[in-house]
Amino acid sequence: MPTPLLLTPIPEDQLLRVLWDDDTLNDYPFAYLRGWCPCAVCQGHGGERHFIEVENPQLVSIDMVGNYAVNPTWDDGHETGIYTYVYLRSLGESQDSQHSQDDPEGTH
Amino acid sequence: MDEHNTPDIHTRITERLRQIQYPGSQRDIVTLGLVGKVQVQTDSAVVQIRASSIKEDVLRHLRGRITQELTTLPEIVHVHIHAFAAQAGEPHQGGQAGNQAVRERADIPGVRRILAVASGKGGVGKSTVAVNLTLALGSLGHKVGLLDADIYGPSVPLMMGTEATPRAGQDKKIYPVEKYGVSLISMGFFLDDQSPVIWRGPIVMSIVRQFLRDVIWSELDYLVVDLPPGTGDIALTLAQEVPLHGGVIVTTPQDVALLDVQRGISMFKQVNVPLLGVIENMSFYECPVCHEKEEIFGHGGAQKTGLKVLGQVPLVEEVRVGADAGKPVVVSAPDHPVAQEFFGIARQVVAAEEMQLPQSVH
Ligand SMILES: Nc1ncnc2c1ncn2[C@@H]1O[C@H](COP(=O)(O)OP(=O)(O)OP(=O)(O)O)[C@@H](O)[C@H]1O
Ligand SMILES: [Mg+2]
Ligand SMILES: [Zn+2]
Ligand SMILES: [Zn+2]
Repeated sequence: MPTPLLLTPIPEDQLLRVLWDDDTLNDYPFAYLRGWCPCAVCQGHGGERHFIEVENPQLVSIDMVGNYAVNPTWDDGHETGIYTYVYLRSLGESQDSQHSQDDPEGTH
Repeated sequence: MDEHNTPDIHTRITERLRQIQYPGSQRDIVTLGLVGKVQVQTDSAVVQIRASSIKEDVLRHLRGRITQELTTLPEIVHVHIHAFAAQAGEPHQGGQAGNQAVRERADIPGVRRILAVASGKGGVGKSTVAVNLTLALGSLGHKVGLLDADIYGPSVPLMMGTEATPRAGQDKKIYPVEKYGVSLISMGFFLDDQSPVIWRGPIVMSIVRQFLRDVIWSELDYLVVDLPPGTGDIALTLAQEVPLHGGVIVTTPQDVALLDVQRGISMFKQVNVPLLGVIENMSFYECPVCHEKEEIFGHGGAQKTGLKVLGQVPLVEEVRVGADAGKPVVVSAPDHPVAQEFFGIARQVVAAEEMQLPQSVH
């Protein structure tokens, strides 16, 4: 499992920077990260994952969940998204391939 | 503004900071975004390190490196570093931007290491092993606790020979029952007889969360958790909710190569909990008269899987009788070979577990 060595929110650049244990570095703009929130509130149950447009979301805090996921809290109080490391990593990769609003897991 | 406060010195400071690699990475702390504002006041550099998930010991290491690098610059005599390590805290308490932006999952206060005992399926002797392993760890001089999280069949209190219920103190705090030197809590204590056996995941989750918050464990070296059998939602939920440091899987020799054990392994993998090894239970039958060992299920199943075998517990009457009588064999007959096997397993667990401890950075 990919595991983050370091998570650093950089409010000046409006992004979360993640260093992985294989030395990959990923930047997640807040709007991108919030948009792909995997929680049931955002995604409903079943069906393909879709991007949630949120205007100017601000990351308030991030909790580490177990040894396998992170749980961001946003300034609108939204805090139900549990991003597993695997999912977070796939978000980083699909963003690299410039299709930032495609389904990160390519399940279309 | 000071005469040194020029782009030139700032450029050179950044250059120095770029020499500092983050431990475990080839990348430097500027690239990682760790370095926030940098100011120069007469002969002092003030460096702000952004809030991150950085660990205390890594931060300590970086402080030293930053001071070392910046004082190589002739203009800089003093270095002030403003930084915060990640805060341990209860999830969902509503954090705030700033120094608490990233929080570690809260450990259980007072508990050093938490070990889960799991099994691919029911009836393989998981609770028996959890109880005797806990007592064996205690006999080795460790302070131990046992959390019976098997909501399907909380059998630990019976095996430990106690019907006492935990004491509820002020502030709704719960104090474990003490027996044989073990601090004991069973979810069975909190199940009224009307409760349906199959709980829905979210209910279990909230009860476990409450457990983790409200139980006052005295200082413990090891807390052993008897997970529900199998790898279904409830076992997985518990493995996710309890901040585990290591897991062991109990299996019988004839099951070890089967899918059940593989599922147990992937369950721990899924939640990123290191698997310390497997314990083969009812490995062979030892004749109570001549102590000859008869392998009822063939030999060495666990070895074939390439997993670390922490021990092989024979099928002996004393184990079952001890459990039924509320006097586990490790306390009732510590000299019996099967008790000795549990001591061996406890030592193996401690050794395997210590290999997993994060290496501190120097
Ligand atoms: N090594 C052993 N020798 C003899 N009897 C044993 C041994 N291990 C377990 N038993 C007996 O087997 C029965 C089942 O053991 P136990 O309750 O520990 O299993 P379990 O895996 O926790 O079961 P469950 O899935 O119901 O929680 C008990 O009667 C116990 O005394
Ligand atoms: Mg049991
Ligand atoms: Zn969401
Ligand atoms: Zn014999």
